[in-house]
Amino acid sequence: MQRIASAADVKSHDFCLNELHNKRLAAELKERQRAARFNRPERDLERLRRQNKLFVRDRIEALLDPETPFLELSTLAANKAYDGEVPGAAQVVGIGIVSGREVIVHADDASVKGGAWYPLSVKKIVRALDIAIENRLPVVHLCDCAGGFLPLQAEFFADRYYAGRIFRNQSILSKMGVPQVAIAMGHCTAGGAYVPALSDYNIIVEGTGAIFLGGPPVVKAATGETVSVEELGGAHMHTSVSGTSDYFAHSEMHAIAIARDIVARFNRVTKASINRVAPEPPAYDASELYGILPRDPRVQFDMREIIARLVDGSRFHEYQPRYGESLVCGFARLYGYQIGLIANNGALLSDSALKGAHFIQLCDKNRTPLLFLQNITGFMVGREYERRGITKDGAKLIMAVSGASVPKFTVICNRSHGAGTFAMAGRAFDPRFMFSWPQSQISAMGAEQAAGVLTHVKARQLARAGGRLSEQDLAAIREPIVEEYRERSSAYYATSEIWDDGILDPVDTRNALAIVLSASLNTPIERPRYGVFRL
Amino acid sequence: MKHSFEVDGVDYQLSLSRCQQGYRLRLCNKVIAPVALSQQAEGCGVLTIAGESEPVRFAIDGEVIHVHIRGRTRILHYRDPLRTLACANNEADHLLTRAPMPGLVVTTSVSPGQSVSAGTALMKIESMKLETIIRSSRDGVIDRIHFNEGESFERGAVLVTLSDEGR
Amino acid sequence: MRKLPFQTILIANRGEIAVRIIKTLRGLGLRSAVVYHDADAGTPAVAMADTAIAISGRTPIAAYLDIPQIIAAAHKASADALHPGYGFLSENAEFARAVTKAGIAFIGPTPESIELMGDKIRARNFVQRNGFAVAPSIEEDDPATFTFRARTVGVPLLVKPSAGGGGKGMRIVRDLANLEDAIAQARSEAQRYFGDGRLYVERYVENPRHIEVQVLGDSFGNVVHLFERECSVQRRFQKVIEEAPSPALSPELRRRVCEAAAGIARAAKYQNAGTVEFIYGGGEFYFLEMNTRLQVEHSVTEMITGIDLVAQQIYVAAGRELGFSQSDIVSKGHAIEARLYAEAPERGYVPTTGKVLVLEYPDGDGIRIDSGVVQGQQITTAFDPMLAKIIVHSPTRNEAALKAHRAIGELVLLGCETNAHFLTRILRDEAFLSGHVHTGYLEENPHIASGEAASDLSAFLATAALLTRPVRESADAVPELHAALGSWRN
Repeated sequence: MQRIASAADVKSHDFCLNELHNKRLAAELKERQRAARFNRPERDLERLRRQNKLFVRDRIEALLDPETPFLELSTLAANKAYDGEVPGAAQVVGIGIVSGREVIVHADDASVKGGAWYPLSVKKIVRALDIAIENRLPVVHLCDCAGGFLPLQAEFFADRYYAGRIFRNQSILSKMGVPQVAIAMGHCTAGGAYVPALSDYNIIVEGTGAIFLGGPPVVKAATGETVSVEELGGAHMHTSVSGTSDYFAHSEMHAIAIARDIVARFNRVTKASINRVAPEPPAYDASELYGILPRDPRVQFDMREIIARLVDGSRFHEYQPRYGESLVCGFARLYGYQIGLIANNGALLSDSALKGAHFIQLCDKNRTPLLFLQNITGFMVGREYERRGITKDGAKLIMAVSGASVPKFTVICNRSHGAGTFAMAGRAFDPRFMFSWPQSQISAMGAEQAAGVLTHVKARQLARAGGRLSEQDLAAIREPIVEEYRERSSAYYATSEIWDDGILDPVDTRNALAIVLSASLNTPIERPRYGVFRL
Repeated sequence: MKHSFEVDGVDYQLSLSRCQQGYRLRLCNKVIAPVALSQQAEGCGVLTIAGESEPVRFAIDGEVIHVHIRGRTRILHYRDPLRTLACANNEADHLLTRAPMPGLVVTTSVSPGQSVSAGTALMKIESMKLETIIRSSRDGVIDRIHFNEGESFERGAVLVTLSDEGR
Repeated sequence: MRKLPFQTILIANRGEIAVRIIKTLRGLGLRSAVVYHDADAGTPAVAMADTAIAISGRTPIAAYLDIPQIIAAAHKASADALHPGYGFLSENAEFARAVTKAGIAFIGPTPESIELMGDKIRARNFVQRNGFAVAPSIEEDDPATFTFRARTVGVPLLVKPSAGGGGKGMRIVRDLANLEDAIAQARSEAQRYFGDGRLYVERYVENPRHIEVQVLGDSFGNVVHLFERECSVQRRFQKVIEEAPSPALSPELRRRVCEAAAGIARAAKYQNAGTVEFIYGGGEFYFLEMNTRLQVEHSVTEMITGIDLVAQQIYVAAGRELGFSQSDIVSKGHAIEARLYAEAPERGYVPTTGKVLVLEYPDGDGIRIDSGVVQGQQITTAFDPMLAKIIVHSPTRNEAALKAHRAIGELVLLGCETNAHFLTRILRDEAFLSGHVHTGYLEENPHIASGEAASDLSAFLATAALLTRPVRESADAVPELHAALGSWRN
């Protein structure tokens, strides 16, 4: 495979300015993640200490095998919601190694609102369990949840993908033979009680762990019965009387040791076998990505420069290099695994859509997982393009993306708009994992363009009422529209709403993809099967 | 979760992971790589640690590993996390008086049911040429005396069990 | 040479000394018999002896102190002589008498000599009467006034049981306020160990050196000395390292101390092997006590003189005249003996136990190992913690220390903690190498016992980690990719 010859001039002024800009964005990301992980009111930390509980991050570190990676997902979930008071949506989710097994770790963060479930907490847990189902990953739940946040129950209780989905997903996992272990490290109340109950194995910590549908105050209110936490749902009772819990632990660390022992017993699944060779680091340094990504998101750049800094040896076997040039397709290796890359070098045209649809079918046939690198403003519009069947060809690409049986992964490198978002394996198309880079924007239309349309609509309404607008009036209408549109199309908003699985510092992308690629292979790859292509 | 070995009463945490030429060992904040042990014969091997090789002799007795390197012998106890953690928070452990060294019971100064306070002499033990008084570390009631006069015990054996009754 | 009148010799002992005696018996073409308690069933002496006869007792030690059982065993083995070794009944006149009365030759001094020289108080009086120097002391002839009179000796003083030896029951008192406690404790221990609670008190010489002289007498009145040994490196009155010759003595002092020892033995009409112990300090020496038996450290004397002391004991017991005169005995080179104990000097010398899983002794020119243990043997606290003696012989003291250091470094004993590394720490200690030791040397240099404060355990932890199945398995279980990524976090 040929090594990509980078055309980037790392000494150029432009490169340096880009680098400065993108490093600042990466630093801002790291700082926001740090704050979401660790900034807590002292009284909450003090309460944990008083209760003899470990901080959720320490629980996870103890659970994981030492010297192994942990890919945290949706760290900044809810960062734009609930006035920023529920960092991470009070949940920690990630992929890690426990007793040598790849697992999903799902932990309630009791240092945030006592681990209460907010609407986005529920969404994050459901997504974690969807990942477990799609990739057949065992789950370790570290339960410490005060219950649902009742004032917002309308947003997390009744609908199909609301709280009930957590328990449905747990049951499905069990049915699939994908084991779950739960540790009751704090109170598991109401719905939270079902997380350990629906896990194949559960452990309860003496003193702090408790499982019940209604806590003592609820019981008192409902039946007048006065009962202690320990009597109602403590470790002794559940392990010796009710049988709700399987293992009694003297401490959190003891519980973690038991959980590790349980996971160590899990059968090892044989991974889907795909083309693999010995890994090789990229020939170009990943940190050069900072200088390559333009500081102005509207500026076009060559995606091969990105590919050169992600894949093994920077080697890339490009497919149809002379056809449909706005979509770069080709084979490369990531930590030795062969992958098929589909990356945007401009708006999608008929030929690039056809090329993409064809390449996806090739990869599907030879069991090559797909990586989509998005920088797409959409499909080209206009009379000539419609006459040449741009919509028909776009439908072929969407049909191919939807139908592919191999695992798909998506990284929004810069922009993701319009039907391009769909055709490039957006969230709705079930890529196994989806990540964003800090500067990226995702929306139906670009902010400037959308603001133009919206301003035009508003101006027409006013004109109908007889008014006539000055340039100043138009600007006054336009500004807040642009502002709100920008805000809601930012990567931070997208990740807050869990439209992705997290924002990545570009230099972390290679490792993150390696981890999710390996995880995805726990599920067998089905034979290719497609719907009807509009030819 | 890290692994734990006890040497002379001190716990050492370590983790071992694979690396290209063998294993990588992390001790506190020090990382040594690669480390490898090639076994030549029963109880004989060559330890390669960061490029230097030296012969080692060893014997494994359950979770106790005896290692001899360059004229020095160390006894390392692997602390199984399940067992260690199951005991660590076990309050009952505080009620046990254990033998500080192997020896035999010379005289017993208390009997079951008797109340004792911290510092009360429980028994006199003899270990080679030394007589040692075993004292209670806390207040309580004698529940059980595990050895009769003249009987011998190993280091760490439970000599006396107290109970909290009557307090 | 005329044939020995013995055919079978019973060894009323155990451990390394029983093995040591069997070796000489084999060399002399004699049959060996040992008695053994069940706790010793797996020891090398039992395996090596031609006959081994089980004995029992309330405790293992009690078995080896049971005179009727041992004499019955001697008859059963058709023994015509008995070697008592050291410790146990070796200095018990009653035993020597009972053995003789049973028609068995006792390989040791006469019961009268044991009575005279084995009782510390009588021996001191006897030595003093014969014009040799002794230290000021008070004996317990009147318990009512003993404590009061003991105070007149002045501090520091040493409280010792009248019977016995080996450091059992001894107490140093530096503050008279502690005197009564020390006497009470010493009496309790003396009573238990020797069945005799009598004590005496003597002035304790600060920084004294322990120098002893090996003597040998026959039934014809010939007495020779085999030069001195120095045993100043002690912990709690237990010898740790012994050597010959003493680095402290000038030729003139050596001549004086050796002649004094021979003179004392001659005055006592001493027969067989014995040791006259002296305290040496401030340029003077005085009589401490006499051991009427073979000593643990007799081997260093054998190394420098080339004389087999056990064989000589048997010749004397057989009624032979010494085959050499004083002038025939020449001291050559330097010998050092280190005692391998099952104990942890790093933890206050507490005894250790365990099963010997691996045992490998060093060998080479001038290296002698007197061992009482074998692989597979269980080390218990039933007996003395001494496992073996490593004895080396070299032309000079420095070379001997180096050789001993190397030999102990090569010794591999796994399964029971020993003092091996502690011994090597002594052997490379400045004060020891320059010969500046005294009986308080180890107490004054606690760092030797405690070992390095922060020694690097990396190699040991690495070995243990690689040998521990759960540790290795948990490392191997991690998929290759994740092992390569290490503790990466996003």
